[in-house]
Amino acid sequence: MPEPLLSIRGLCVDYVTESGPVRAVDALSLDVARGEVLGIAGESGSGKTTLAQALLRTLPPPAVISDGEVRFEGRDLLALTERELRELRWQRIAMVFQSAMDALNPVITVGEQIEDAIRAHAPVPRADARRRAGELLERVGIAADRLDAYSHQLSGGMRQRVGIALALALEPALVILDEPTTALDVIVEREILQQIRALQATLGFAVMFITHDLARMLQFSDRVAVFYAARLVEVGPAAAIARAPRHPYTQGLLRAFPRLHGARTEGVSIPGAPPSLANPPAGCRFHPRCPLAVPACRERAPELHEVAPGHLAACPLTR
Amino acid sequence: MRYLIRRLGFYALAAWAAVTLNFFLPRLMPGDPATALFARFKGKLSPESIDALRAAFGLTRAPLWRQYLTYLAHLVRGELGVSIAYFPSPVSRVIGSALGWTLFVAGTAVVVSFAIGTLLGIASAWWRRGALDRWLPSSLVFVGSFPFFWLAMAALYVLGFGLRWFPLGHAYSDDATPGWTLAFALDVLRHAALPIATVVLATLGGWLLSMRNTMISVLGSDFVTLARAKGLSPARVVLRYAARNALLPSVTGFGMALGFVLGGSLLTEIVFSYPGQGYLLVQAVRNQDYPLMQGIFLVITLAVLGANWLVDVAILWLDPRTRDSAT
Amino acid sequence: MSEPIGAKGGGLAAWALAIRRDRRGLAGACLLGAFVLTAVAGPALVGDPTAPVGIPLQPPSWAHPLGTSGQGQDVLAQLVVGTRVSLSLGFAVGFAAVLLGALVGVPAGYFGGRVDGLLSIASNVFLVLPGLPLAIVIAAYLPPSPATVAAVLVVTGWAWNARVVRSQTLALRRRDFVSAAIVAGESDGRILMVEILPNMLSILVTQVIGSTVYAIGAQVGLEFLGLGDVSRVSWGTILYWAQNDSALLTGAWWTFVPAGLCVALVGFALTLLNSGFDEITNPRLGLERAWRAHLARRGRSPGRSTPVARDHA
Repeated sequence: MPEPLLSIRGLCVDYVTESGPVRAVDALSLDVARGEVLGIAGESGSGKTTLAQALLRTLPPPAVISDGEVRFEGRDLLALTERELRELRWQRIAMVFQSAMDALNPVITVGEQIEDAIRAHAPVPRADARRRAGELLERVGIAADRLDAYSHQLSGGMRQRVGIALALALEPALVILDEPTTALDVIVEREILQQIRALQATLGFAVMFITHDLARMLQFSDRVAVFYAARLVEVGPAAAIARAPRHPYTQGLLRAFPRLHGARTEGVSIPGAPPSLANPPAGCRFHPRCPLAVPACRERAPELHEVAPGHLAACPLTR
Repeated sequence: MRYLIRRLGFYALAAWAAVTLNFFLPRLMPGDPATALFARFKGKLSPESIDALRAAFGLTRAPLWRQYLTYLAHLVRGELGVSIAYFPSPVSRVIGSALGWTLFVAGTAVVVSFAIGTLLGIASAWWRRGALDRWLPSSLVFVGSFPFFWLAMAALYVLGFGLRWFPLGHAYSDDATPGWTLAFALDVLRHAALPIATVVLATLGGWLLSMRNTMISVLGSDFVTLARAKGLSPARVVLRYAARNALLPSVTGFGMALGFVLGGSLLTEIVFSYPGQGYLLVQAVRNQDYPLMQGIFLVITLAVLGANWLVDVAILWLDPRTRDSAT
Repeated sequence: MSEPIGAKGGGLAAWALAIRRDRRGLAGACLLGAFVLTAVAGPALVGDPTAPVGIPLQPPSWAHPLGTSGQGQDVLAQLVVGTRVSLSLGFAVGFAAVLLGALVGVPAGYFGGRVDGLLSIASNVFLVLPGLPLAIVIAAYLPPSPATVAAVLVVTGWAWNARVVRSQTLALRRRDFVSAAIVAGESDGRILMVEILPNMLSILVTQVIGSTVYAIGAQVGLEFLGLGDVSRVSWGTILYWAQNDSALLTGAWWTFVPAGLCVALVGFALTLLNSGFDEITNPRLGLERAWRAHLARRGRSPGRSTPVARDHA
């Protein structure tokens, strides 16, 4: 088995508040293989975006990484110096932000922002950087003459595409997509995801696809990881999870989406609300909302165990 | 472009408001406005001269609207009436000689203060909790709490009277010959140093704090996080991404504060006996020289409106979002 | 001054909490308290400030702790009596300016449309006209008195408040709870009184404090020019006489330093009080305290990137 591109072990990320640290990512262990698409699903507040930015270590205060190891291409990202981090960022790991509207600098042109990324890591002459920026835009389906446009002059879909072009500028090994299509309408969303898939086939980068839209993710990903209340509750091949989810939360999520084909079913939402991370439930964090809960669930938090090859789930009750 | 025209229209409206205020003020006071205006001349001038003055001020027996139009016509020709304190000099001439000095001191002070304050604000926000951020903003705000003219008095007392490093007043030495020579220029600078320094010190805190707070906000936005994630150098992130955006509200605030700073600058001139509008203003108040007072008000107002329009041009240049549609 | 973001807890309680937590706000409150106490109780404890009590321009001594003025009056007595005059006028103008500003700003923000257009243009015009020259021109036609000074200051100071109150009203009006009230058919008056104004209280308090700072400073400026009643004793007239009697050139620093210092201290105290509130509307300013402490406890210092601070060595 080839060495994974990214190997996370026991990662803990806290937000320090006046009343003490709140854990947003709790002892996470996860692998991402080269060239694979890993989907990360979960409700808002489950810790998904925190994870993405924690990898790049761009979480603003009051975030703190409290434990763990993150091995990327053989190096521990948590041990890197500021200078090493700056080199690694964008060249090896890049990110597409949730709302590209706010993620682009409003006072400089779109082309200049791409050029900035290119020229930050190598002494590339301006003309070359500009040419490359033009190529990148064309690759995501935007005419090169839009290099001189400002972000407010572009539509939402185009801005998101600029974000993608930006992320691919240095041909990184891992691209993190944080809710890349939430702000877009369904048709544009589909186009963009298809474009990413095509680019991935050509360039061979791995993708971490973060979204709350489980159905979309199952179509698009190779493997899926499900988060609940800062913990990983299920991970495995997308097809397997779609067909036979083994954690009650995942089952609930899938039931919430009505089927497009086959017999008509109604979406059934999961009762209750996600817990506050400052005061999570004892034991298994899902037990207050779980239809299968037994008293033991309140006492001990279940560990992830293998239910099928490559498929892990953190619930002892599902068979 | 449409934006600039709209702003120009607004300033024209403000100028009109000022002009109209000037027209109505003497007429709103109880009694005959002419009496108020010429109170000091009773017994000093012949009746014909007084009538001539009346005509000059538009205080004829004509209906109000015609008086108003005459008044506007005079204004457009640059005639602001005749000064009482400096009788018989026309107000425009009295003001004209002093305007240059005021613009020199106030203009220099405002530009220098904004530039330094903004740079310090950026540094303060970037190196938060550093020595700079801990003491400088609060100290400068405290210094800025003193009235401008009090700082002028203190500066004059300590540096002029006490240490004798700077002259005690006026724009240039009594024995200097005005001209475009280096010696004269240096003399002028020596005399302008304290007034300019006073205004700079009084206003520095405000610019610094405003820029610092805006920067802190901007440093938390998504596009700055993305800039960091791209691996850009800290200098680039601070200047091209953060500061460039934080500058916009700061420059807007600059425009709004201009009137206030100019007012303080006028009072400062008084302390230094600097031959600018401030000195004229004191004379006008003391002598109840209403034409001069109103003339100064109009000229200062126009200067501030003009400066505000320049600030709008600067915003247009700095913010690409204003260049497109009128949104 | 930064435009206020919609504060989560807009009521007075949030503001009071901020003052208590923030050392600076507390310092400001104490300093202000000292001045208010002086204004209330002081004049009874000192003699008549206008009576000549000694040789003019005497430096500070045991008999006269702040020396004597150019007319031989006791400077300390003048200062204490002047505190009452200057502070009361300052607060009065501060309140009035915010009241007038709110009367314009709330309808502008709430009703929008043509009402907003008209009111906004009016306040923008007043905002752009330079305050001091305008104040002088109006005050010069009126009899010199505190009422004149107050009126003129309110006329030049209301526009900024109108602008701030308008933007706050606008922000609140867009919030869900107001939309719900509108849909429920509540009358405009009731919505304003019950939903909008209570949530604006802390902003209004901030504005009153800011306007008071402006009022005290501007008042002193006008009096310095001789536009106030120079026979009344206030901080501004003390400075007027100091300049008139050429205090500087005779080295009589005690005639102008104390008055200016008072103005600065009161202004600073009020500003400190307001800065405590700044941290609520811009939470990022105060957020990092606990985080820095957390890092320090683990021997880490904050850098540019997310720090790694493990609990065990």
